[in-house]
Amino acid sequence: MSTTPDRLVERYLKHLEVELDDLPRDRRREIVDEIAGHIAEARAGLEYETEADVRNILESLGDPADIAADARERFEIEPPAPAEPFKPGWTEIAALVLLLVGGLVLPVIGWMIGVIFLWVSNAWNVRDKIIGTLFVPGGVGLPLFFLLFALGSGGGIGCVDVISDSGQTVPQACPDSGDSTNYFGIAAVIALLLIPVMTTAYLAYRLRHRPAAATA
Amino acid sequence: MVAGKQDALLAQMRKGTLQYCVLALLVDEERYGFDLVRSLAETDGMVTSEGTIYPLLSRLRRDGLVETTWRESTSGPPRRYYRLTKAGRSALDAFNDEWGRFRDAVNHFVERKAG
Repeated sequence: MSTTPDRLVERYLKHLEVELDDLPRDRRREIVDEIAGHIAEARAGLEYETEADVRNILESLGDPADIAADARERFEIEPPAPAEPFKPGWTEIAALVLLLVGGLVLPVIGWMIGVIFLWVSNAWNVRDKIIGTLFVPGGVGLPLFFLLFALGSGGGIGCVDVISDSGQTVPQACPDSGDSTNYFGIAAVIALLLIPVMTTAYLAYRLRHRPAAATA
Repeated sequence: MVAGKQDALLAQMRKGTLQYCVLALLVDEERYGFDLVRSLAETDGMVTSEGTIYPLLSRLRRDGLVETTWRESTSGPPRRYYRLTKAGRSALDAFNDEWGRFRDAVNHFVERKAG
């Protein structure tokens, strides 16, 4: 059964090993082994070992992060670069703008160029790129197109034209209120407008908080 | 801010000279890590984190200034003993000369003003 001092030592050595992660393996091994030996020597020299003794030994050795910083300096190894917020380039900005409103300027093609920029950029991972492509194809262009079409048809949102038996299109009369399809239509268009906005916001957020997999 | 810079400078000086202290401790006899650390820790102000000696020893070994041998210990697992090499000895001697001159030059100015 491991005692509390044993666990303290184990935790210290594990912590040290993690801190020394960017050192070549043989050097990391050597340093961790030597420090483990040091702790064993110091503990063997104690007549009655208490938890406080072990804590003092570890404290005299120093914080694993300090030892690692010292080791990196001794071996002239660059310290790990702090995670900098990713600086979006023009590819990323063009992707975001075109995905959202490209379809308005140049129907379908504008959005598709946005998709190309999205996939060319290495700022996003594949998951993010799929999300950007699928939600929603056409960006806000598609729902706005629906909206214009619906208004332009004269029937208003949610009014469905019915094709009569003779093959002629008969506009349905739309009641001012109380028509459930009306609300459904409005809700659908709002959702279709909101989803691409949210997707763009999400992709912009991911530029600042990049997943580890996407970092070069 | 000035105090912070001074601390950093002293830390750098300590770090830079520590390896020669280690080499000097090995002039007469070979020693194992724990023993070296104990000797260094006896002098106040030389080592702040004892654990930093081990990366230094590893570096000295790779630079060929010390060499190591494992020896059985009567009280536990085998110990890695460090011994000064020829290269280590001449590095220490060269540092000694320079350090003496440097120390005297700095003292010449600093002590007179302070006294």
